[in-house]
Amino acid sequence: MTVAPPLLEVDALSVEVLRRHAGSFLAVDGVSFCVKAGGAFGVVGESGSGKSLMLRALAAVLPNAATAVGGSVRLAGRQLPHTGRAARRERRGRMAMVFQDPLSALDPVHSVGWQIAEVPRKVLGRAAGESRRRAVELLSLVGIPDAASRADAFPHQLSGGMRQRVAIAMALAAEPELLLCDEPTTALDVTVQAQILELLDGLRRRLGLAVVLVSHDLAVVRDLCTDVAVMYTGRVVERGTAEQLIDDPRHPYTRGLIDAAIELDDAAAPPRPIGGSIPDPMQLPPGCSFEPRCPLATSACAESVPVLEEVGAGRVSACIHHQLLAAR
Amino acid sequence: MSAGRPTGVAPLLEVEDLTVSFHGGRRQRLVAVDGVSLELAAGETLGVVGESGCGKTTVARAVAGLQRPDSGRILLDGTQLGSRRTRVQRRAVQLVFQDPYSSLNPRLRVGTVLRELLEVHGLASGEEASRRSRELMALVGLPVDALDRQPAAFSGGQRQRLAIARALAVEPRVLVADEPTSALDVSIQAAILALFAELSDRFRLGMVMISHNLAAVRHLCDRVAVMYLGRVVESGPTARVFADPRHPYTRALLAAAPRVHGPAGTARALLAGEPPSPIERPEGCPFHTRCPRAEDRCALERPVLAPVAGVGDRIAACHFRDEPARAAVAGADARTGPACGGPTS
Repeated sequence: MTVAPPLLEVDALSVEVLRRHAGSFLAVDGVSFCVKAGGAFGVVGESGSGKSLMLRALAAVLPNAATAVGGSVRLAGRQLPHTGRAARRERRGRMAMVFQDPLSALDPVHSVGWQIAEVPRKVLGRAAGESRRRAVELLSLVGIPDAASRADAFPHQLSGGMRQRVAIAMALAAEPELLLCDEPTTALDVTVQAQILELLDGLRRRLGLAVVLVSHDLAVVRDLCTDVAVMYTGRVVERGTAEQLIDDPRHPYTRGLIDAAIELDDAAAPPRPIGGSIPDPMQLPPGCSFEPRCPLATSACAESVPVLEEVGAGRVSACIHHQLLAAR
Repeated sequence: MSAGRPTGVAPLLEVEDLTVSFHGGRRQRLVAVDGVSLELAAGETLGVVGESGCGKTTVARAVAGLQRPDSGRILLDGTQLGSRRTRVQRRAVQLVFQDPYSSLNPRLRVGTVLRELLEVHGLASGEEASRRSRELMALVGLPVDALDRQPAAFSGGQRQRLAIARALAVEPRVLVADEPTSALDVSIQAAILALFAELSDRFRLGMVMISHNLAAVRHLCDRVAVMYLGRVVESGPTARVFADPRHPYTRALLAAAPRVHGPAGTARALLAGEPPSPIERPEGCPFHTRCPRAEDRCALERPVLAPVAGVGDRIAACHFRDEPARAAVAGADARTGPACGGPTS
């Protein structure tokens, strides 16, 4: 345990989404967490939890209908603007993003080597030859065999796993300290998923790269991340170490996600799906947004939005009944 | 050849030596499915697993009659299904697709879809069709007023239920589901699997589930067939295959699956690289290029799919099929125990 200041500090980040003819809602509502240099932080939630928009807000690449409306993002102690050229400039070379679908992140008309070399050339101002050498170096760093000749391949000539490796190589090209990954393995086979997770873990260890991983799959997050936040309807409902959350969840939604997971090894414990579905974000319940689906809900839960409370060393939960879970 | 079963039980569905190939460009053939045989009894659920490109979806499409095989036979109740199926034969095998967003007509109300189906197949019309539609909604756990809505009004899980209702409307004998939970949130995958289990039980449906999700297969399927490069490399009862896999590829797949419980970093690659192209199939065992167990003979001699000695009802296509599993499964067994306990402080 070191006492180094966190690399990334996200404080009360909120993102508003505008729906045509329908008004707006907070898709991300006051999300806070920290990531240490070289750390691996996971964000878990179902579709509609706001996890991807939160990640895009960190990278300042929100879609048009979404705006960061509050909170702050600090990188190594320095606050980053949410929008505009300054937002991009101050992030460039410091953080990079990897998306679920590598094909849409790559340019189909240029070779992958050219695309990667563009980053050192344009962002770091390196010479063309040196940039090209760097691209080949990066391709072999991400585990692409025969990198020098693969650099001339076009994205469509590569498999899904290879494309994701290329996307990671491109993200690394500007030598960032922080890699933001949005479901990077969801479109891949389990075998390739395992390879990509291993790659990310290796990069973290070797380069001291910090990783934020967003996924709907608790098992994937568990595999890579030491610290985890669980999101529901735009809010963090529980945060702690991966071990704490999985072995001893203190929010009924976290518990629900764990119980719903279909596990390979333990055939004796059948998965239990979470009843109901995510509420309409335009009409969130007045109190705890999980209350309509929650097995522990009481009338108090519907009264006001619960705040994150410390429920143990370094862990927080937004459930007023968290003691009931601890007792189990 | 398929894993043996108690004699006397006539299989509902038999796939014999199925081969399907596609144009591979430059006058090459891409053999997607290469001599696959499968058997399915009524009320039984068979999982077909493997990486993308292994041919599992092509098998599903051929069984459903959407893909014409080059050779091989598909038999239902002992009767061969020809390349042109009769309406009754088409009804008998129904397919549920992976993506419930693209497999439903967005412009038609659910009730209209079902009524058309029932009328076209001469199963019901008028008031009877409406009654049947309401029954189907109840069967898949949707409210009756779902019939008046269009697919856009439903979530992913609900749409998958609609797709299942549509498949059931024509009273099939066999349901083929291609990655039915892959597009769904983890929290609702279990509910869809439970629905499949219930339906298979209740109507004695034979089910084939194509999936890369081993946990889902473990949970739902009585038997499993593992495919690699267009061939079945191992098959048998799911519980036994997963507890003691005899093909190194099955072992690798199991080791790669991430687990919620257990130490971090459990889902780690045993396998380097990706499957070779089915156009340039390796000599010898198709898996030898990635196999941690491979020896010289594997590059020369293709192992046949043969019974595993001493375990019964299991077949594997590996020269070393009679060696019991080692590390990967020992770890899995250890994890089933106290992993849930954890610190309580």
